[in-house]
Amino acid sequence: MSPKKPFFWLLVAVIAVFLLPVVTRDVGLRESLLLAAIYIILATNLNLMIGFTGYVNFGNIVFFGLGGYIGLYLVTAAGFPVALAATVAGLGVGAIALVFGLGILRLRGAYFALATIGIAEAVNAFVSNFGPWGGATGLYLSFEAYRPLGGPREALWTVYLLLVAVMGLSLFLGYAVKTSRFGLGLFAIREDEAAAAVLGVNTPLYKAAAYSLSGVLPAVAGALFFFKQGVIQPDQAFDLTLSTEAIVMLMLGGQGTVTGAALGAFLYEQFRGILLTSPVFSSFQLVIAGALLLVTVLFLPGGLMGWLYHRWPRLRRVLE
Amino acid sequence: MTKQHRWIIAGAMATLGFAGLVASGSSVAAADVVTIGFTESETGALNVDSIGQFNGFRLWRDQVNAAGGITAGGKSYQVNLAFYDDQSKPDRVQQLYSRLILQDNADFLFSPYSSGLTATAAIISEQYGKIMITTGASEDKTYQLGNKYLYEMYTPASAYLTGALDALKTVHPKARVALAYADDAFAKAVATAARTYVQSIGMELVFDEAYAPSTTDFGPLINKMISAKADALIGGGHYADGATLARQVYDHKAPLDFISLLVAPDSPKFATLGESAVNVTAPSQWAPQATFKPDFGPDPKTFGDAYRKAYGIEPSYHAAGGYAAGLILQHAIEQAGTIDPDKVAARLDQTDVETFYGHVRFFTDSSRHGLQAGHSMVIVQWQKKGDQLVKEVVWPRAGATAPLAYPLH
Repeated sequence: MSPKKPFFWLLVAVIAVFLLPVVTRDVGLRESLLLAAIYIILATNLNLMIGFTGYVNFGNIVFFGLGGYIGLYLVTAAGFPVALAATVAGLGVGAIALVFGLGILRLRGAYFALATIGIAEAVNAFVSNFGPWGGATGLYLSFEAYRPLGGPREALWTVYLLLVAVMGLSLFLGYAVKTSRFGLGLFAIREDEAAAAVLGVNTPLYKAAAYSLSGVLPAVAGALFFFKQGVIQPDQAFDLTLSTEAIVMLMLGGQGTVTGAALGAFLYEQFRGILLTSPVFSSFQLVIAGALLLVTVLFLPGGLMGWLYHRWPRLRRVLE
Repeated sequence: MTKQHRWIIAGAMATLGFAGLVASGSSVAAADVVTIGFTESETGALNVDSIGQFNGFRLWRDQVNAAGGITAGGKSYQVNLAFYDDQSKPDRVQQLYSRLILQDNADFLFSPYSSGLTATAAIISEQYGKIMITTGASEDKTYQLGNKYLYEMYTPASAYLTGALDALKTVHPKARVALAYADDAFAKAVATAARTYVQSIGMELVFDEAYAPSTTDFGPLINKMISAKADALIGGGHYADGATLARQVYDHKAPLDFISLLVAPDSPKFATLGESAVNVTAPSQWAPQATFKPDFGPDPKTFGDAYRKAYGIEPSYHAAGGYAAGLILQHAIEQAGTIDPDKVAARLDQTDVETFYGHVRFFTDSSRHGLQAGHSMVIVQWQKKGDQLVKEVVWPRAGATAPLAYPLH
């Protein structure tokens, strides 16, 4: 990606916005943008499966949760620095996802979607009974773990910067896949899998690679996020609601586009944040969030990006 | 969709996104007001328990403010509560606690409901040196992480069933105990501690099994307990499974002399089980019938009456824990004569007081600072008085309203 590409400047602008709280040392803004960064990571990586490959992964949260568990275990039991633990978690989950993917990606449509929920539930059940990871009560991080990063206050800033970097990588990964030969293969699978296979696309391998790839960065994010949270428990780590919310973000922004996935995630986070803390709307924030989803499905089936593309077709060349 | 509609939607989205970036809440930090911040689970799975706790906070605030506020160093502080919905999920807990401290200028904090959310919130409270009184967070691990500002109101999970076993020991010192518990975080933490305690007091653990929280047929489990010749059953999890287990134990005519289950028998609904509920016991953080003689704050009856008047329902132990959290903070502020957090923390470390909720004292050694050291669980038992089932406190003896009915039938 060269500076001549508009996406390069878009990426620079997004990262610049996310670095704003570092300059102003505004903790409130940092916390808001941190959650937005997590959502962007989840949505843009999920986009590799749903938007590019056409496979709906309802259990995408399993990558995030597993990454969190591996990362926190490496920090607490093996004394790994958090950045190394998160990297190992990402690679580990990518490898596990490849194995799962080769198994379940022979299923299509609703059967695949159900299998992904099954995987999330099975991993949840396994972790809930896995002694070294604290079983059902989970892993708790001692305050000592933050000391190498200068105590909890500084550690949270470090984690934030790392998460912004992972978000930048996620956006770049989405762009790189979309503009690559591999991405073309995924689009072919999305449009007509049988035809893609006939035309020479190694569909099982492509799908498994996309599934595995879509798990790496959410796992890194999971490790960083739960390090920040200080505790990880199975029900929090494998929360299917967040999995579904990631799909909503994707639909809101526009699946199949990198900018759309990021925009949807960002707006969704901000929207929920305002509703939750608003004295007027907090009591019925879930109703409003549901209504937003309905409006999106009914009036903007292509999401915000679909609407923008329709309104200004030239944007297709600028916003990937 | 018309062009106008599209613009409305796009405009709304853009406004919301922008507003989220710049939104800042109003803060209430006027002179002589002490602000206490917390999140509550207005929505989500923890809602019922969290609301009880929330009602307790509110009743305490209303009574303190009506009485002129908290007096410290010659000043009277009116109590202001600042709170948000955490949706029973940890995702936004740190964001909301940061907001409570930085934007709402909270001087002190109460915990969210549940140990997981509290451990997450504690990362923020410790960062800013804010005292957090926890209620509804009984997992021991939360207090073993090096916290300096966390103070627990509940008896820790590790001691949930020890009171029931102590009570059993007075009537059957060599009981053969069956441990059957729900396969969830809370029940497992309780069971882990109970397992060790059974053996440490000379009883024999003859059955030890977890069951899925959604179990509706306990037949096979009960048959195994009978085969193991168990005299006593301890365990359970939450309401649905505990109530079903108690009913099926009765239906199977299992020869058990003592039953103590978590959560379910503590609920007033448990009486609807009729004969199956007779003499079943439950550990509880508190019961309205308790007869503690307080050194500070209202007695149990005065609290119970005020709560019923305010909310029209019987106070649960979650509600009592919420009220007591406020009371203990008030006690420490008044003793310290200031709202300076370090001085109030020093007074909390020295707290050794009897309240309507029972005794309160905190461990102060660094390996478990803030863990509750003084409070004991009460054991309640459904006893038959004529045709009525009445919930009596049978343990500890200091707060008992009736002796333990033993054996079961």
